[in-house]
Amino acid sequence: MLAILGSAGVIAALIGSILLVSRGIRLARGGEGDLRAPGKLVLAGAVISMVAMQVALLADDFSLAYVANHHSSNTPFPFDVATAWAALEGSIILWGLVLAVFTWVVARRAPDRLGSATVAVMGGVGVFFFGLMLTVANPFEVCVDALATGCAASSAWPFNPVDAPVNGPGPNPLLQNHFLMAVHPPVLYIGYVGLTVPFAYAIGALALGVPGPEWLRRSHRSTLVAWSFLTLGITLGGWWAYEVLSWGGYWAWDPVENASLMPWLAATAFIHSGLVQQRRGMLQAWNFVLVISAFALTILGTFLTRSGTINSVHSFTQSAIGPALLGFLVLVLVGSFTLFAMRSHLVATSPRIGTFVSREGTFLVNNLLLTVYAFVVLIGTTYPLLLEAFTGTQVGVGEPFFNRLAVPLSFMLLLTMGFGPVTPWGGAPPGLLWRRLRWPTMIALGLGLVVALTVTRVAWVILAIVLGVFVAAAILGLLLELARARTAKTENSVYQEARTVIGNDQAFWAGQLSHIGVVLVAIGIAFAANLPLHSEAELTPGESVEFAGYTLTYDAPFRRDEPNRVVQGARVEVSRDDRIITVLEPSANFYDTEMGGIITPAVMSRPGGDIYLTLRSLDDETVQLGLDTSPMIWLLWLGGLTTAAGGFWSLAVRRQGRVVEEPRVLADV
Amino acid sequence: MSERSRNIASVAFIAVMAVALILITSTRPATVDRVEQIGTRIKCPVCQGESIANSPSQMAEDMMDLVAERVSAGVPDQEIVDELLGSYTGAVLLDPPASGATLVLWLTPLAVMVLGIAVILWWRRHPGSGEAGEPASPGRSRTRLAIGGVVLVLAFASIVVVAANSLQDRPAAAAGAAAIDEQDLSEVSNETMEAVIAANADDPQVNGMRLALAERYFDAGDYRSAFPHYLVVAEDPNATDAQAITSLVRLGWMAYAGNGEVETATRLIDEALAIDSESSVARYVRARVVWCGTGDTQQAIETFDDLLADPDVATETRAQIEADLELARGGRECP
Repeated sequence: MLAILGSAGVIAALIGSILLVSRGIRLARGGEGDLRAPGKLVLAGAVISMVAMQVALLADDFSLAYVANHHSSNTPFPFDVATAWAALEGSIILWGLVLAVFTWVVARRAPDRLGSATVAVMGGVGVFFFGLMLTVANPFEVCVDALATGCAASSAWPFNPVDAPVNGPGPNPLLQNHFLMAVHPPVLYIGYVGLTVPFAYAIGALALGVPGPEWLRRSHRSTLVAWSFLTLGITLGGWWAYEVLSWGGYWAWDPVENASLMPWLAATAFIHSGLVQQRRGMLQAWNFVLVISAFALTILGTFLTRSGTINSVHSFTQSAIGPALLGFLVLVLVGSFTLFAMRSHLVATSPRIGTFVSREGTFLVNNLLLTVYAFVVLIGTTYPLLLEAFTGTQVGVGEPFFNRLAVPLSFMLLLTMGFGPVTPWGGAPPGLLWRRLRWPTMIALGLGLVVALTVTRVAWVILAIVLGVFVAAAILGLLLELARARTAKTENSVYQEARTVIGNDQAFWAGQLSHIGVVLVAIGIAFAANLPLHSEAELTPGESVEFAGYTLTYDAPFRRDEPNRVVQGARVEVSRDDRIITVLEPSANFYDTEMGGIITPAVMSRPGGDIYLTLRSLDDETVQLGLDTSPMIWLLWLGGLTTAAGGFWSLAVRRQGRVVEEPRVLADV
Repeated sequence: MSERSRNIASVAFIAVMAVALILITSTRPATVDRVEQIGTRIKCPVCQGESIANSPSQMAEDMMDLVAERVSAGVPDQEIVDELLGSYTGAVLLDPPASGATLVLWLTPLAVMVLGIAVILWWRRHPGSGEAGEPASPGRSRTRLAIGGVVLVLAFASIVVVAANSLQDRPAAAAGAAAIDEQDLSEVSNETMEAVIAANADDPQVNGMRLALAERYFDAGDYRSAFPHYLVVAEDPNATDAQAITSLVRLGWMAYAGNGEVETATRLIDEALAIDSESSVARYVRARVVWCGTGDTQQAIETFDDLLADPDVATETRAQIEADLELARGGRECP
């Protein structure tokens, strides 16, 4: 029943997508047609398929092969809901749903030619993804040969006689170990899929031969939505890894992590270079390259993570979907760049850049750095594959390689972030930068010296603090300067005027909030990566160990039987000055489907950083614990959230109808 | 203070601070955690893309212990790395050297950076004629086409290469399964086998390894780990008869020895006998379960006698049966 309903939803969405393509093209050529109805059809179909899957999961309907293989009747809430995107076929339903929402939004208000062409492109992307759901990654296959737990064979024909198992193995244990896994994928998918919109606008504009700034203006909002969610999704992903994967890290340059970072870098570059085109008419061609790359990188990322080509901690699925995604990627790249080459004579050549000491100059540097950054991640992730394909030689590319290149690039980006916001468009008058950056430089160096004398002398940490404070002080200094200039004319206080300054140009200040978020991330990473303490302890009940200023006392082992797992671990009291602060329970979680336990850390968060305990071994007499600290790691989460918040803020500004396309704040300086 | 002297003071302050910071940070005694640093350079052999410093697996922990030991013994980094790469199959250097096949990795980002700077500088000297907002100037289309073409060819070439790799039926992991299947499994760690099995879960070829691993767990008394593997093989229609029989018999024995479920045990072993009623292993284990579980000594003695009369029974098993038979004849409880 649900299989029929779900399949019907997918078919409806596919038909809607096909209609969007044909009608969109007709409309873009000046013909007649309606896009709203097929847009609604796509949305309705996608919603129905997701609802069918959710109902199947919540009602333990094991006649669906996907449910039989990835769900278990004792999977607790909210992991039963999240199981819908815990494996390949289900995650494509989510992808389709998000795509349908974006498509519907664009189709709803798009009867002009550019809008119609854009909808046609989005419909084309929809045809591919809903087509996948009917062929190589069908989530609504019915189980025709049941195992004790799980399904041995399934059929895409929903009217086949069903042989449903009584229960399934449940989702991958790593995915049901933390609530963040329920939210991280949808958030990330909104980011990935959102990049389809600017891509579709770009292709639409190229196809119609109108490569002016119109497509940028109209896709800017979607770009910001995508970027903000991508930022949030990456942050949540790091957080999840830290809380679940028990090595105390949050980022390992794993291919799946890289797959999310590459589009983020390209989208960040695009947001900045788009401003340059809107403001100065430059970089038209470059913006096309960036937006096509950003979209292609999301497809490449999906291919890398979902085809099983690269085995990584995230590759929970392996399937025949690889060739399909690869083919689509080739189509996107070849099609887009061919179109681009055919229309390149229409793309305006850029006007001369007057001086590099200008906003557009700093944006050029920023784009260069971000492009090289994205390239480093791209080649580091794909080169081992390419080399193996060519020569059969196996090489590893991991943390040391990425860190060696990404760390200097990150510091250079920070430096650029200090200069950019205080540099006016078109060129700075002599002495302006010195006036604006003198104090930030002195404050940054002074604070760096204080930290070096009191906290740590590790060069990377000091450098991160100096550059971070420099950026933050430059931004605050600019705000102060503009507010003060206004107080000369009014009676108001500096604080009131600062609020007015921000209120008058919220999009610009929202961007600066994101910059401050990046600063927090940089400082958080510098601390957590360079100053952690590590120790190990073997304790018998009642025994204590001193670690990082705390006394850890092993109380007793414990065992908890939960519906979907057995939790075994050690109860450890954390105290300081004979006062018990908290009790930590590092554990191993045993799931039926998994041999051995999933080691799950216990974390105590403090302003100075976290105490991170992992279970090494446990028997009747003793427990072996891994003891780690993560200094200032909360700065990383706060920074990631702040960066995303900046994006959401600038979206909210637009919604209020205060269209501020680029920072105007310096125009009259 | 005049503007000029304020400027001079600022410059002096900045210079002094910068020099002080450089001095302070550079005089720090080296406290780099060499163990951790070496650990991030080696891929954990049984994990998927994790370094041994990041992996929670037992093998990675052992390797890290070895690194710590060598570091405290004063062995240089490179020698430790070489030792690890030499003595653990599947350990790969995650820190590609700037030479040989991986030189490209280091050179291309540099090339992209240099190219980017060159393009920006070239653009500054040869700007287009268009002013901001002005429609396109239809010149240079040939240059642009050429650039577009090059980009296209590069993109396409790389795609084809990746495609060629991924379209080979089930790459790396499957090849690994087949390769390991043929070699002596005694050298392969449990974790490696788990990884290969997990990567090839759907491949019937992996049953051999699955069974070998399960036997290893079984011999070690780790029924919990052995159970799911036997179960998969027993339920796999592609498994050979011998594999299915072994799995069913083991499952039966574990049901009895682990949970005391005599009925389940005999039912499972009967399924094995349904495949091959002559299977000596199945008959022997069934007799033992009946004898130990129900105390039915008579039935056990009959089966043992039958088995000893069968010339196909291996010598080793024969000795065990004889010992059991003696006990049973003596009316003793099963051991």
